[in-house]
Amino acid sequence: MKKLKFTDLLITIMIGVVFGVLMKFWDDLYTVVKPIMPVARQLLYGMWFMVGPFAFLLLRKPGTAFIASIAGASLSAFAGHGIEVLMYGFAQGLAAELLFAAFRYRRYSILIAGLAGVASCLASFGLDLIYGYAALETWALIVKYGLRAISAFIFTGIFAVFIVKALEATGVTSLIRPVDKKEYTMLDQ
Amino acid sequence: MQRVFNWFTPKRETWLFRVNPALKFIVFFAFLIITLVNQSLPFAISQAILYGILFYIFSGYSLKKLLLLSIPLVISFLSTGLTMLLFGKGETVLWQWGLLKISEESIQHALLLGSKSLSFGFVGFTFILTIQPVLFFYAMMQQFRLPSKYAYSFIAAFRLIPAVTEELQIRRNALKVRNIQFSKGFRGIYERLQSYTVPLFAQSIRRAQRIAVAMEAKQYQMGAARTYYYPTRYTGVDMVFLLVMICSLSSAFLLSIYR
Repeated sequence: MKKLKFTDLLITIMIGVVFGVLMKFWDDLYTVVKPIMPVARQLLYGMWFMVGPFAFLLLRKPGTAFIASIAGASLSAFAGHGIEVLMYGFAQGLAAELLFAAFRYRRYSILIAGLAGVASCLASFGLDLIYGYAALETWALIVKYGLRAISAFIFTGIFAVFIVKALEATGVTSLIRPVDKKEYTMLDQ
Repeated sequence: MQRVFNWFTPKRETWLFRVNPALKFIVFFAFLIITLVNQSLPFAISQAILYGILFYIFSGYSLKKLLLLSIPLVISFLSTGLTMLLFGKGETVLWQWGLLKISEESIQHALLLGSKSLSFGFVGFTFILTIQPVLFFYAMMQQFRLPSKYAYSFIAAFRLIPAVTEELQIRRNALKVRNIQFSKGFRGIYERLQSYTVPLFAQSIRRAQRIAVAMEAKQYQMGAARTYYYPTRYTGVDMVFLLVMICSLSSAFLLSIYR
């Protein structure tokens, strides 16, 4: 019941790609804010962690967070962000996926989605450390990644959950989610 | 959109174009990982020079375009380097002003980080400039056994990008016409995100679902043994490519040790 069908897979990858396009536009905003307000810039960073948790909240199936994250990253890579974003997409998606897996893919709350975002943030922090940011002053590291983690929670927890709720209202989720027990019993009446 | 694609036609097709795209991806991805984990400054610099040679000489594009593409690379070199230069750890302080501090160690680290970001940029652009995305996915299926349902999903989703960007544009205009004002702060960010993403996702999900159903109805047998519209295989160029890449990376490594 929980396995990804071809339809689910194509929708997951589509979500990743749409996020890739959105991130391209988000990048413009980010670049404008970048030099003027370093704090605001880190607070906008959560957008980059949103794709995986968002896909899982929408489809509620194992594997979606990871696949959507890679799809988003590969679009960013082709759109000129450089293929190193694939490594980040891989690590972030894996972290979010593992967090959802730890709750047996049964929790869709703000808290769990937010934590998945923070896990993605930690994964990207790990890669940044290997890359060479470990040599920053400790206070700078804490400020930069602390703000990023807060932003990750806000974007992947609060924002993603509410946007998925709004999408549920449009009715598209009925196309993709597994049919509920409740809906079967309704047929019997 | 068409104009963007035309811009990406090379002046001449170098030997890099004939390498199997999936093999090229694996080799270049290995370069990225080596760049990422490497912590030695001389090796980072010699790698950046090697990848720079690949980018400027063997990508087959005119110098004007290559210089234009170099602008973001220079910016990212400066921005990553500067952050490290001013906020990096270090004992031998050369200059200090409030929180900003330049030390010998931070100069070293800034150069390391800058060369790494240059390497990333060169490798990434060389890859993207010398492959065709569709052939890349076909090669991944045929040479590296990527399951066909993944590859075809990627190809289908990538084909829909123009539709997505067009819809985004329409939505932007619609909001402009209605003179929508967003609140300030995080609330405003959410309102902005919601007003763009909800219609965009609803539409894309419906479209993706329709395409998936259509593909299944047309007997795209996912997982079964199949034939391919574009056959890709290994040729002599691939052997040459592999040898040249291994030799040049090792010589870059050796040069960085015995300067």
